[in-house]
Amino acid sequence: MGEHKLYWGKDIYFWNFIVLMIFTLFEVGAVFFEEIPGTDIPVSLTAVWGILIIVGIVKGFGIGAFFMHLWDDPRIYLRVALLPTVFVLLMLWGIGLSNPEGVTGLPGWCTPNWDSLVTER
Amino acid sequence: MGGGGGSDVKNAVWMRALIMAGIILGVAVVSYVGLGVVVANMKHHTWEEEEIHYDEVKATWQAEVDAGNISSADETNAFYEAKEAAHHHEIEAHLSYLTYRVAGLAVLFVGIIFAAFLSISGILNSSQADEHHDDHHGHDEHEHHGSASPIIFSFGCLLFLLGFPDFADGLHGLMMGSTKGTIGDLAVSMMGLTIVTVGIANWWREDLPFVGYGEQLATSDPFAGQHIRKAGIWVFLMSEVMVFATFFSSYLRMRTEWCTKWAFDDGKCTLDPGENLAMTASDYLRPGGAAGTGDFWTMLPGAVNTFALIISSYTIVLALKIAKSHDYKAPSGFLGSLMPTKKAAIRNYLIITLALGTMFIVLKLVEWSHLIAEGFTIGTEQGSIFYVATGAHGVHVFAGLLVMLYMIFKADTVEWSEENAQGIEYFGLYWHFVDLAWVVIFPAFYLY
Repeated sequence: MGEHKLYWGKDIYFWNFIVLMIFTLFEVGAVFFEEIPGTDIPVSLTAVWGILIIVGIVKGFGIGAFFMHLWDDPRIYLRVALLPTVFVLLMLWGIGLSNPEGVTGLPGWCTPNWDSLVTER
Repeated sequence: MGGGGGSDVKNAVWMRALIMAGIILGVAVVSYVGLGVVVANMKHHTWEEEEIHYDEVKATWQAEVDAGNISSADETNAFYEAKEAAHHHEIEAHLSYLTYRVAGLAVLFVGIIFAAFLSISGILNSSQADEHHDDHHGHDEHEHHGSASPIIFSFGCLLFLLGFPDFADGLHGLMMGSTKGTIGDLAVSMMGLTIVTVGIANWWREDLPFVGYGEQLATSDPFAGQHIRKAGIWVFLMSEVMVFATFFSSYLRMRTEWCTKWAFDDGKCTLDPGENLAMTASDYLRPGGAAGTGDFWTMLPGAVNTFALIISSYTIVLALKIAKSHDYKAPSGFLGSLMPTKKAAIRNYLIITLALGTMFIVLKLVEWSHLIAEGFTIGTEQGSIFYVATGAHGVHVFAGLLVMLYMIFKADTVEWSEENAQGIEYFGLYWHFVDLAWVVIFPAFYLY
């Protein structure tokens, strides 16, 4: 449990909470502003995507590692937590394959090399 | 079912459940009368005035068009601008009315369920004779803590879901004023709900006296030496990950084919003549969204809910931390007066968590009512996946709140200690998972 180690007088739960709050502010702000505040630079779709994914990963890590104690708990729990990730990745791969864009529009690394599977007589 | 070793819980203690139910019901009724009746009626009056004003301004504009003074296609004249402004105010007044009406009804609905849950379980348990347990079994880590309650509960869920299509039809018929065949339509699901309630009440009866001795340990790989309940909750949570992954992958799969404003602006899709942009929930909620309805206030409920879940994750961690502490020291100042003892601190942190979760449900329903009023209904592809995914998450939050009620009740009676704090820890895992699911749902459905 992370309450035994103190950083600047507070335990890891407190700092994790602060980080989660700050990143959530950042997440909402990324979508709320159509331009970067104080500039004319538009916040593009790609930038929003990037921010949402990075913030999601940081928040997911904070909640899983510290609030759910995966950081300190025996590794078996981390392995259990990671197991569905395999299925989720397979599902995402399936989405790519079943998408009309899957044949030509997606990058080669996420589609199998179908040509190599063609039977040649 | 023995429920493991535990302290003796007198039947009189169950009266506290009824008292708590009464307090919750009282707060819910007062909130409903305040928000859903008094304020909502005032807002309804304003809405009616705005409607009359809009009708008048619209009639004036129409008269000018009919007289040939202005063109109906001209959007720059003062009459048209006045009509649009009046229409905007009318919509604003309608949404404001909906906010208070739905909030009041939601608080009342949640309060009634909370009160029913507490009192039914309380009465069912009061009808049994007191059980006298030996509280000093010694710390036998292998004592039996098995229970039939999960099987009873699961069977109830099975019946409820089997009958759900008819149940939905029956409810719809009732709302439309028809009672024909209603009993038959509702029967299977209601039987399921009754069995679920019995399962929960039995679970409660078994667990309440449990003070921590007898936590069963796994004896074989891969969980050898670990608490079985903890392993069980992790496996359960991972099955839940798959449930939400299914919603999420469905959404992604559908979304790749939608020509949204963002995709259109980025040149990722084109529109055929007469074809409209696909409107997602974020188009209604986000400032700059395609629907043109989004601003700070439409974003606010979702954003507040995100912060509420994170804060509630922290408060339940604080409850666990205090339950596991050897020597509780009350904080100074105002917080100290709220949390003078270890028992009060745990209970009050859990109550704060319950309040934040309830606020989440109420704000979500208010937000749904606004979206539906603006035309974003479940009848569209975009609406279907949005309401199903966010609704499933809301159901998880609500189920968590019912468990939280029990945790608060236990905090107020048997008390949480170093010995039985794992109950808070395991429930906390579920609650953090619900928070984690929102971390994915919120950006995917509300922001993107």
